[in-house]
Amino acid sequence: MTAPARKQRRQVVLLRPVPGQTVIHDLWAGSKLLIVAGIGVLLTFYPGWVPIGAVGMLVVMAAALARIPRGVLPSVPRWLWFLLALGALTATFAGGSPVIALGSVDIGLGGLLNFLRITALSIVLLGLGAMVSWTTNVAEIAPAVATLGRPLRPLRVPVDDWAVTVSLALRAFPMLIDEFRVLYAARQLRPKDVDATRRARRSRWASEVIDLMAAAITVALRRADEMGDAITARGGAGQISAAPTRPKRRDWVTFAVVVAVCGAALALELTVLGTSGTRG
Amino acid sequence: MTSAGPESAPPRTGSLQPVEFAQAAVMAALCAAIAIIAVVVPFAAGLSLLGTVPMGLLAYRYRLRVLIAATVAGGLVAFLIAGMGGFMTVLNCAYIGGLTGIVKRRGRGTPTVIAAALVAGALFGAATVVALAVLTRLRHLMFESVTANITGLAAILARIPGMKGAAERLKADFATALDHWPYLFFVIGVFSITFVSLVGWWALSRVMSRLLGVPDVHKLESSTDTGPIVPVPLQLNDVRFRYPTSDHDALGPVSLSVQPGEHLAVTGANGSGKTTLMLVLSGREPTSGTVERPGAVGLGKLGGTAVVMQHPESQVLGTRVADDVVWGLPPGTATNVSQLLSEVGLDGLAERDTGGLSGGELQRLAVAAALAREPALLIADEVTSMVDQEGREGLMSVLSGLTRRHRTSLVHITHYNDEADAADRTVNLTGNAADNTRMVETTEAPSATPAVDHPRGAPVLEINGVSHEYGSGTPWAKTALTDLDFAVHEGDGVLIHGLNGSGKSTLAWIMAGLTMPTAGSCLLDGTPVSDQVGAVAISFQAARLQLMRSHVALEIASSAGFSMYDQAKVTEALITVGLDPTLAARRIDQLSGGQMRRVVLAGLLARSPRVLILDEPLAGLDAASQRGLLRLLVELRRRKGLTVVVISHDFAGLEELCPRILHLQDGVLATAPTAAGELS
Repeated sequence: MTAPARKQRRQVVLLRPVPGQTVIHDLWAGSKLLIVAGIGVLLTFYPGWVPIGAVGMLVVMAAALARIPRGVLPSVPRWLWFLLALGALTATFAGGSPVIALGSVDIGLGGLLNFLRITALSIVLLGLGAMVSWTTNVAEIAPAVATLGRPLRPLRVPVDDWAVTVSLALRAFPMLIDEFRVLYAARQLRPKDVDATRRARRSRWASEVIDLMAAAITVALRRADEMGDAITARGGAGQISAAPTRPKRRDWVTFAVVVAVCGAALALELTVLGTSGTRG
Repeated sequence: MTSAGPESAPPRTGSLQPVEFAQAAVMAALCAAIAIIAVVVPFAAGLSLLGTVPMGLLAYRYRLRVLIAATVAGGLVAFLIAGMGGFMTVLNCAYIGGLTGIVKRRGRGTPTVIAAALVAGALFGAATVVALAVLTRLRHLMFESVTANITGLAAILARIPGMKGAAERLKADFATALDHWPYLFFVIGVFSITFVSLVGWWALSRVMSRLLGVPDVHKLESSTDTGPIVPVPLQLNDVRFRYPTSDHDALGPVSLSVQPGEHLAVTGANGSGKTTLMLVLSGREPTSGTVERPGAVGLGKLGGTAVVMQHPESQVLGTRVADDVVWGLPPGTATNVSQLLSEVGLDGLAERDTGGLSGGELQRLAVAAALAREPALLIADEVTSMVDQEGREGLMSVLSGLTRRHRTSLVHITHYNDEADAADRTVNLTGNAADNTRMVETTEAPSATPAVDHPRGAPVLEINGVSHEYGSGTPWAKTALTDLDFAVHEGDGVLIHGLNGSGKSTLAWIMAGLTMPTAGSCLLDGTPVSDQVGAVAISFQAARLQLMRSHVALEIASSAGFSMYDQAKVTEALITVGLDPTLAARRIDQLSGGQMRRVVLAGLLARSPRVLILDEPLAGLDAASQRGLLRLLVELRRRKGLTVVVISHDFAGLEELCPRILHLQDGVLATAPTAAGELS
């Protein structure tokens, strides 16, 4: 979060694309959302090494095309490394095939490989989502939702209402985060409560949480009231974008590449290089 | 009242109304923010329990359609930042929040919540089991991975003497549990949903009881009149307006006319009903008197009435400048965005994010959005009151020629006398508030005093070579401050003046120890101020955010650090800031803006801070409250030797409180001009 850290940690910047104007930046936001959704489905059904590797390759390729510098990655806290090492260690002790011989010791790598696979799966999925937020201007998200949802309209799904709400939520989000920063800072400035009797101390944590929540909600309600006025002043909802973008040729090319890579990976997974579902 | 009961006015069917859109969007953003923190920040997962509160509130006050729209929006925002985990958290919050909110709306109690949660939990558990049954490969991967960790743990345990039995048990029990996984996941589903529902129910009830006094600041209402849209010429005859909960007229009696194409200025002191007049002009029915128009008001419609309001930030609805201009126009309307932007002096900014604009730029953008509707009547309601001097001049030059460039009547409501000069005609509202008769004059920027003034006492706060950069090491790195050097002395009164984006707020946070500068140091009495957070008091611009307790006495006691039973101290603190001690029993949300700011000060001053920092202390206050607060601060500084640092984009009336002025421009202290004036 952007809350001022006590230590100098690398701050996470929210909802702002990496500066630049590359092929990936220029892709239609809807394409990116569709591709991410499609790949997500593929990986939940077939979390084998080959699909994970293929998607990982796609992510790295896209990152290179979009000229994403290494600086975007948030610093990984030490406790996370520790947890990963602990998980890897216990998984190694589980043994299992395949077994390799290191000198006189036989080490079964089955458990470790499973652990690594689930870790790789999480990292690839995170990277996939991150690629969308690093290369997409938030202003393009809501119009894309409206376009993508168009097939649902005959089913009386209020897609346009959703798109408007998405655009407004994306507008309100940074303002709320700023207000939370102030709330958090104001809380830091306060001294310890002196009324903490034993009974009070027990309920103090709870009432503290309620106090903070009440302050946050009060601020949010005020924002919402003002925003409602602003919408009324515009005569209600209508257009949300001055220049709605549509899929262009580069989007179809991208789709073709993604489908080809994922299709090949799936075919390999189901035939010669299958890793998942060994017990199934 | 905002939350006294379920909203009844909006229709229960059809597309979302403006209020419903806004509530859905803001609550979605709130829920997403909570979900993101819960997912991203380590050990904060429990926080996601609170995400049910905004969704519950939404389900309580509005129809299901609003909740669903908020779920979609919140889920998408959370997904963009925190991935699938964020999305699933928002989904869960909406599921459980919706349940508790609807139970609350039906007026039922805890037993109903438990029953409903058991059913919802069973559904959730069943859905989980079905999903895992379908996703065979993912299930095997997960189970095998966890099994590997458990088996490995058992293998390590087995090497410890005497633990062999326990290790075997652990392995066997885990295997048995996994063999019966459908039951396991079903039971976990039921239990977790029931538990979260109960926590959510408790939090929702507690928060809602706190929200009873929150005033509803929503003012405008959509026009309901039909027929051709012709808002002008407009004739008001003896119009009076009284708010439903009030016992006196907020406006009137007033009679005035607005002719097509004229520029009319409406002046008047605070409390004379200027904003209420805006409401009547934009279509609210007056309590008495008549309003004559040839046709419908058409608020926000093409060729109708457009309104530009006071708050720069909350009027802008698009995240990109060009999108904001067209926001809300009927689908298919063609707009010449670049021409409109160049008319208001925002050429070439069409692709910029609205988040990075200054107050003045935001207001000019709001004017462009209003002009996109080619209104017959444009109402500007105190549009300059929250922007800096430069922004004010820019806005006035846009407004003054408007009636010549467009076929529109302009009603400019203002409390600045000099702004009325550009109008063809001026109407002065006398109003009912006798004590608020003086108008505000804008003040010219005085020149900066030399940084090395005659120090009155020892240096308290020393800023040595301070630089600050946001997002260091990322592609978004942005320098806020560069190499600042100055000291604040005992008993000093310093004004740090700068325009929007000059880095003055960052500087305030650094001086209060809330932000560590990326380079240099900020020392309080010789030690870094970031090690003694709280020793330097800071009053933020948004006073409401600093008031956390429900009542004034509780708030002061808590922020000052004494017992809430110590009435004498609370009374003393209230008297110090010039508030009536009877206010102690008042609810925070019943205070006016000026009173809130004083209550914050009472809490801060009771701890005898070494330095008091005030961030835009006068913003949003009416003229009388501004004068009163300034008098109080001047008095405190003189009598108690309080060291004061004011951060502001304005100068008006601050000369006495802050004899020393530092100009901050683009993160650099402007060099002191040679003509330094006669200040001591």
